[in-house]
Amino acid sequence: MAGLSDVLRAKPRVNLSINTVDHHALRRLGAAQGGGLFVALLALGTYFTFANSSFLTRSNLLVILLQVSVVGMVAVPGAMLLVAGKLDLSVGSLAGLVAACFGEFNKVMGWPLGLSIAGALLVGALWGLMNGVLVGYFRFSPVIVTLGGYAGASGVAQTITADATRSGFGPAFAVLGNGQVVGIPAPVVIFVAVFVVGVYCWYETPIGRHLIGIGANPEAAEAVGVATRRLPCLIYVLSGLAAAAGGLILTSQLDGASVQIGLGLELEVLTAILLGGVAFNGGRGSLWGTLAGILFIGVLDDGLILINIGPYVANLAVGAALIVAAGLDVLYQRIERLPMRIIDAESSGNDSTGGSEQPETVGGVATREYGTR
Amino acid sequence: MIHSASSAEALPTPGNGVEKMLSKGDGQVLAIRDVSKRYGPVTALRGVSLELRRGEVLALVGDNGAGKSTLVSIISGVSKPDTGEVLIDGEPFAEHGPKAAREAGVETVFQNLALVQTLSIADNVYLGRELYRGGAVGRALRFLDKRRMRREVEAAFDRLGLDLPPVTAKAGALSGGQRQAVAIARAVLWQRKVVVMDEPVAALGVRQTEAVLSLVEGLSEHGVATLLVSHNMEHVLRVAHRVAVMRLGRKVADLDLRNGEVSGMQLVGLITGGMTEADL
Repeated sequence: MAGLSDVLRAKPRVNLSINTVDHHALRRLGAAQGGGLFVALLALGTYFTFANSSFLTRSNLLVILLQVSVVGMVAVPGAMLLVAGKLDLSVGSLAGLVAACFGEFNKVMGWPLGLSIAGALLVGALWGLMNGVLVGYFRFSPVIVTLGGYAGASGVAQTITADATRSGFGPAFAVLGNGQVVGIPAPVVIFVAVFVVGVYCWYETPIGRHLIGIGANPEAAEAVGVATRRLPCLIYVLSGLAAAAGGLILTSQLDGASVQIGLGLELEVLTAILLGGVAFNGGRGSLWGTLAGILFIGVLDDGLILINIGPYVANLAVGAALIVAAGLDVLYQRIERLPMRIIDAESSGNDSTGGSEQPETVGGVATREYGTR
Repeated sequence: MIHSASSAEALPTPGNGVEKMLSKGDGQVLAIRDVSKRYGPVTALRGVSLELRRGEVLALVGDNGAGKSTLVSIISGVSKPDTGEVLIDGEPFAEHGPKAAREAGVETVFQNLALVQTLSIADNVYLGRELYRGGAVGRALRFLDKRRMRREVEAAFDRLGLDLPPVTAKAGALSGGQRQAVAIARAVLWQRKVVVMDEPVAALGVRQTEAVLSLVEGLSEHGVATLLVSHNMEHVLRVAHRVAVMRLGRKVADLDLRNGEVSGMQLVGLITGGMTEADL
């Protein structure tokens, strides 16, 4: 190619850098939307700090993190699924099923603790694999498949336990939910580890951009060789594993393996992800935003209790925040399309090609060919 | 006087470098041999043969239903021919499908199919082909080298003499012409042998049409073979070295355009059937 440089230098440049749109400003706007929740979080934190002196203490901050750790670790693969246009509604029931299986393994079948934990995690991973194969490979609707899992996993759990709650797993297992690592609760350590791995996968490996591609334009992603089947399937497995880990942590905290343990987890996870700005239909979002969503809920719940306002108000506030997030989503979509409109308006009306048809997809072209004969 | 373009003479090009490049062998990159395709009772293609050489721009023209789009879908691996074969550098596609066609070196540029709107220009160009940081560790961890990808994309735009918004701008914020340009630059960066463009300027305004046509000429200078489907005879006469005219599923003419002896009126005559190659 080096020999071409002379030829190319002689050529006039092709100028397509339209000046009416400030792309940097557009990017800043996008960043502002993602960071908006962090600002709200900061404002909320500042308010609670002044309202109650015990808010900004090491122990209270650890309490907040402990409260959100299970939702947080499930939300990491959850955000990856949602940005790819998928969804996992089965995580709550699955956490209950995993807890039930763990109870059966350890207490009824008499497996040693390590094997019981491994078996329970395997149950979560296999359920995730089933979701992943059905949604990823067979292209079943993620809502329907995992809604089925939501009902099904509970059903299986109730069947195998006959609704009995097992307890008394001993001090070694209690460490998982109640223990500390250098003064930090074990569940928080696990959540932070999961999140750090998640950030690495999302931002520093192709996984994040591939998931966004699958969510925004699956045909384009498929055409350039993104694993549009295998990758979502893998994330479903991780989602199942995270739900299983969450179920075990909750079981350890309560020292009781109940079918009911993950009740409502799926909606708490989804709320945090949506608050964090991941588009419900996929294609846009960030894992940092998801972290903001997780912390926002945790800070709100904790702070409102500290200033003696009940959990009902916290629910109301989360609901209001979700609606604000939905509004921001619409606003962002409008802003996104703005430059297209400006450019199109600039060049409309002088289409010199005379061709009225526009190429769409190859399939569409082929059927058109067939139809016009 | 019209020359049949199947002879192996070198194409006249604006620079010496290209002529040297083209003179290596006959430079044939794409060969379509006797391809036929039926859709139920409808015969879309009847025994079409076509050749495309390195650095050549071949225009494919014809009325609606002439078989252009079917031919494009076969070359891009989306449809499978009933009979006949498609060869890239003398090799048939390893297997059927758009991915196999891409791997064989055919890049098809569609208006809306190609880009992920929420990813940046640079991310889009390297989507599915990301560069990793050096060393065994970087590759094993699949650690993205974002800076190198951005620089490579900027360099590719520069080689094409293309001024676009910053490579960090989201593809969704680009106009139709800018998207075409990104898709074309991707073909160059990934060193595709053949670029297929189905009506690349159909939805574009004057200025952007001009820019995309210049890019097509630039592709040719990079030794990429281009198949350009177009309804616009003015564009065809301007950028194409050769034109294949399709009519009712057959190739009715294959003309050299380099000597400027073919007019738009003659092409329209061939397309509508009011004229045959012998009349010229």
